[in-house]
Amino acid sequence: MFFSSIIFLVYVLAPVAWLLSSSFQGEAEITSRPPHWIPHQPTLENFEAIFQAREKKVTYETRRAGDPATGGYIPSTARNLIPSMWNSLVVAVAVVILNLVVGVPAAYAMAKIRFIGRSTSIYFMLTTRVIPDIALVVPFFLFIRTFGLLDHLGSLVITYLAITVPFSIFILVSYFESLPDELDKAARVDGCSRLQTLTRVYVPLAMPALVAVVLFTFLSSWNEFLLALMFTQTPASQTMPIVVASFASDFTISFAFINAAGVLAVIPPVLMAIIFERYIVSGLTAGAVKG
Amino acid sequence: MSIRAGALRGVFGAPVSRYDQASAMWLLAPMLGVLLVVAVFPVLYSFWISLFDLRLTRPHRVPFVWFENYQEIFQDELFWQSVWRTTSFTLICVAAIMVIALAMALLLNEEFRGRRFLSAMLLVPWAIPYVANGLMWKWIYDSGYGALNGLLFQLDFIDKYMVWLGDQHKTLWLIANAFIWKEVPLATILVLVGLKSIPADLYSAARVDGANTWRRFVHITLPALRPSFMLVVIYETMMAIRHFDLFFILTEGGPAEASHVLAWHVYVETFRKLSFGTGSALAYIMALVTFFLAFWLIRTLGRKL
Repeated sequence: MFFSSIIFLVYVLAPVAWLLSSSFQGEAEITSRPPHWIPHQPTLENFEAIFQAREKKVTYETRRAGDPATGGYIPSTARNLIPSMWNSLVVAVAVVILNLVVGVPAAYAMAKIRFIGRSTSIYFMLTTRVIPDIALVVPFFLFIRTFGLLDHLGSLVITYLAITVPFSIFILVSYFESLPDELDKAARVDGCSRLQTLTRVYVPLAMPALVAVVLFTFLSSWNEFLLALMFTQTPASQTMPIVVASFASDFTISFAFINAAGVLAVIPPVLMAIIFERYIVSGLTAGAVKG
Repeated sequence: MSIRAGALRGVFGAPVSRYDQASAMWLLAPMLGVLLVVAVFPVLYSFWISLFDLRLTRPHRVPFVWFENYQEIFQDELFWQSVWRTTSFTLICVAAIMVIALAMALLLNEEFRGRRFLSAMLLVPWAIPYVANGLMWKWIYDSGYGALNGLLFQLDFIDKYMVWLGDQHKTLWLIANAFIWKEVPLATILVLVGLKSIPADLYSAARVDGANTWRRFVHITLPALRPSFMLVVIYETMMAIRHFDLFFILTEGGPAEASHVLAWHVYVETFRKLSFGTGSALAYIMALVTFFLAFWLIRTLGRKL
């Protein structure tokens, strides 16, 4: 048991540990053979470079001087990383709010109200969930260009709804279904309207599912790459994955720096996942089992 | 149809109150609106575009060409190669994910100290953005200073540093490995839920009947996991077929088209060659294939597994 736990942990954590370790290594150390598994001279210069990059300009002189913010193999685009994380955050929060506004009432109606078209609406949602994101790229692109929203965060918010709303509703429908119908009847007898029944009775009870929805939507927007790659062009709207990917495809940039950027990109989602582990597991299983 | 107050009839003939019908419609309206705009409309529009020879390099002449884009695609050898690569990538990934996830779920299903810690750590790969996952593996596979070379060299498995992603016979496998690492946690959780739902008395009854551990595993555990396996196969197949991010970060379809998969093919046609007509047609083919594959998997696996 102990032995298998070790294998398990090594498989899951070793790649990340290596990423973390090499983000604390300087340019000289990262290019050693064989690699230093643990940095011999740990340094924060890669992270400093990212955080200071906004104020400093890369010039030939500063590069020569070996200033961590501008020297070495640090790209001039390093300054875009922090703003891009801010963009990612704005988009993710907007997508989360819209998901709740759109998803909660719809899920309640599908789970608790008997009406004509109920099964049709459930099948409709199931179908939208299997559309591959790549199939949405061209129509979205033309659509967004027509409305002048290219390179605008709004275009990301709209398109991310397509990939998040169906899943959110899944989680919510299965959770609402597990709550007793009697609550609904009792609230209605007491004179609540449908909307009041939802907001006063079901929403407070569905907190675990709501937390799961918030987490999933947040994480999928934060991590989304393909659509952001197509619809953003300048740092004004580029999200974190785009900027990080641009570092990765540039051969002149040191891996020490890229790894530091990677670590920064990884910290928020991983922290969220570990803190809210319980909700994630129940949400994943509810959403997936239903689908 | 004349509707009297409170006398609407549902599909099964049970009366549906008019108030319920109206309130359900209001509650559903935002979702229907959003999905019509962001899902239904794009899919239909995409089909319409795929019938035109729309090139952004020539934006003022957009002839209607019926199904010529599709014809062109099916005659393209690169398309069939990419279909084949996507198929092998998907098969490798789904098979490996199943095996690893089953092993991990069996471990997490036991009671031991530190189990909670393991299950929390399991979420690390799941939460990592694909882009960060991609650059992490790119660095691990790096032929100059990467960890894979370093480790194999220190363990004496290789006597000199090797080229990994740049070797066209290894690329697809290495990308698959990065994909598997990231997808295993979700599959493990799904299998674990299946394991937890097996009643414990089944095992004790089998033990009384003299079934050893292996026989209990084969005759109780595996059959009971049927629904979870089905779920994992369907979900991961969908994810692997459409996967794009790692191919972009790790190899850009290279070396020499060794990782030129279907999703990458769509990207190249659309955004590198700027041929939106064929790009749409390709994406449409992909959407249809995934859709029917999902349908077919649900039907056959649902019965056989």
